[in-house]
Amino acid sequence: MHPGIYETVLRWIPEESRVLDLGTGDGTFLARLVQTRQVIAEGVEKNSTLVARCVERGLVVHHSDIADGLDQYGDRTFDFVLLLGTFQELLSPAETIRDAFRVGREVIIAYSNFAHARVRWQILFGGRTPLTRSLPQPWYRTSNLHFLSILDFQQFSRNLGVRETASAFFNARGTVRFLPNLRAEEAVNRLEADSIFRRSAITEQRETKNETYQI
Amino acid sequence: MTASPSNIIRGDLQDQKVADYQSPLGVTRTETVTLPGLRTQSGFTFEHMDVDYQTLGTLSPARDNAVLICHALSGSAHVAGLDPQAGRPGWWDYHVGPGKAVDTDKFFVICANVLGGCSGTTGPASPQPETGKPYGMDFPPVTIRDMVVVQIKLLDHLGIRQLFAVVGGSMGGMQALALAVDYPERVRVCVPVATCVSHTAMQIAFNEIGRRAILSDPNWNGGNYSTDRRPTHGLAVARMVGHVTYLSAFAMTHKFGRERQTERDTNGDETASFSVESYLHHQGRSFVRRFDPNSYLYLTRAIDRFDLFESGPAVEVLRRVRARFLVISFASDWLYPTAQSRELVRLLKRASIPVTYLNLETEYGHDSFLIENPAFASVLRHYLENEYRHARN
Repeated sequence: MHPGIYETVLRWIPEESRVLDLGTGDGTFLARLVQTRQVIAEGVEKNSTLVARCVERGLVVHHSDIADGLDQYGDRTFDFVLLLGTFQELLSPAETIRDAFRVGREVIIAYSNFAHARVRWQILFGGRTPLTRSLPQPWYRTSNLHFLSILDFQQFSRNLGVRETASAFFNARGTVRFLPNLRAEEAVNRLEADSIFRRSAITEQRETKNETYQI
Repeated sequence: MTASPSNIIRGDLQDQKVADYQSPLGVTRTETVTLPGLRTQSGFTFEHMDVDYQTLGTLSPARDNAVLICHALSGSAHVAGLDPQAGRPGWWDYHVGPGKAVDTDKFFVICANVLGGCSGTTGPASPQPETGKPYGMDFPPVTIRDMVVVQIKLLDHLGIRQLFAVVGGSMGGMQALALAVDYPERVRVCVPVATCVSHTAMQIAFNEIGRRAILSDPNWNGGNYSTDRRPTHGLAVARMVGHVTYLSAFAMTHKFGRERQTERDTNGDETASFSVESYLHHQGRSFVRRFDPNSYLYLTRAIDRFDLFESGPAVEVLRRVRARFLVISFASDWLYPTAQSRELVRLLKRASIPVTYLNLETEYGHDSFLIENPAFASVLRHYLENEYRHARN
């Protein structure tokens, strides 16, 4: 992920918040968050070697696959749930977001923008699956299951009844303010959902709206 | 993170000679103390009881570095260092010692033989105070919680108000859990390994096969056997069944495959034709020498009856817990499957207890915590180190 994404998330999270980091990797960022923001943190990671790295850093970490759900956490246990770079690897992103809003008040999601100019160029003129700084792996090795643009994400959140309260976009030169869907390589969104946000509501939304995705 | 294949060849330290293995602790000993008695959960009163225990390392001036290690079914107080009598290292020597997972340079390690055991602590083979004869089946039923009461009495004797950590695998893990629940103010960190909050039907079933083997040995004689006519065949069969459940298909294939090894009895009749058979015979024989059959009955019953939440709903029982947890399971452990540890973790987390959980991919089944296991050792060492630093700040 672009370093600007981590800086942005650090800015968004107040001190002593309770934070759950989904797909925390070796815990580098979470440890930094603990150090600079004194947050009460927990990571979820599915790779045992990375879980061990988190333990070495002194983090509380849970070894499991996000796709198996977050049933181990009670409702509203966390102030923030983070999905930084993990979002595109989720088989059912809508379900994970639903879970995330059950266990947390706010959700922060960072992802790569598939509508970035270089991606468009490579597909249009190269006729090949794009390889860029934020999509560095070839199609046969990438862990990404979904490829989405910033516009896609905005529509997706709207359909889920989730509000973006802040967002930031980045490319190699730094922050992108104009035409992010064309110019940004990566995006990070701070999301909120109404307190009435419930399993049934979102499932319903997903069921009705999903049809528009399944063209 | 898989341990190297040589681990299974070397195996655990309990019942086999590990030729090139040297304990860095040298010779260590256990000692036996007579403690004021207790009333068991079943209502029986012991006026006094003997507790065999070992301590390693040095208690810090602040008395804040004590780590209690709870042994599993077949373990003893001799956790690490060379046991001069048995001529072998302690059962957890791989993981307890200077610079090891439980670092004796940093921590004051305590390990005691459990109530109902047969390695120095009061158990069915101990003499009754009135008659001087062994208790046998007159020994009262003991529970995991009774064992924990005894551990606490030992801590009182040693002047340890609060443990830094309690660590245990399998039956030891049950004690660690019960201690954290029943004595919340006496422990800061709890590490249950390859264990569960209560046995399933399958786990009870395997224990019952072992018990039946002992009970149907003619030498068992209602539990009143003499030292020269013990139900050794029954106990050996119990150990063989138990031992298979501690391994994995991978481990057994790797270690034995279909390798042939002929064993003959004194008449020249073939008693084993595969090396796995001969290995199990050896496990049985070795176990019988050091374990009391009645103890096996009592301890397996205690394990089967254990229910961490026997006093009420999990949320309420866990509300009083103060410890932080590291829960470790092994993906290949089919006796204490990962799902049981995940359920334990879920209940702890739902009770707002900080828990780190790791399901290691070690391929050697339930025994994975008893063998040399670098991935396991590294995680345990770092966790204890970090938590100790955290606890002192």
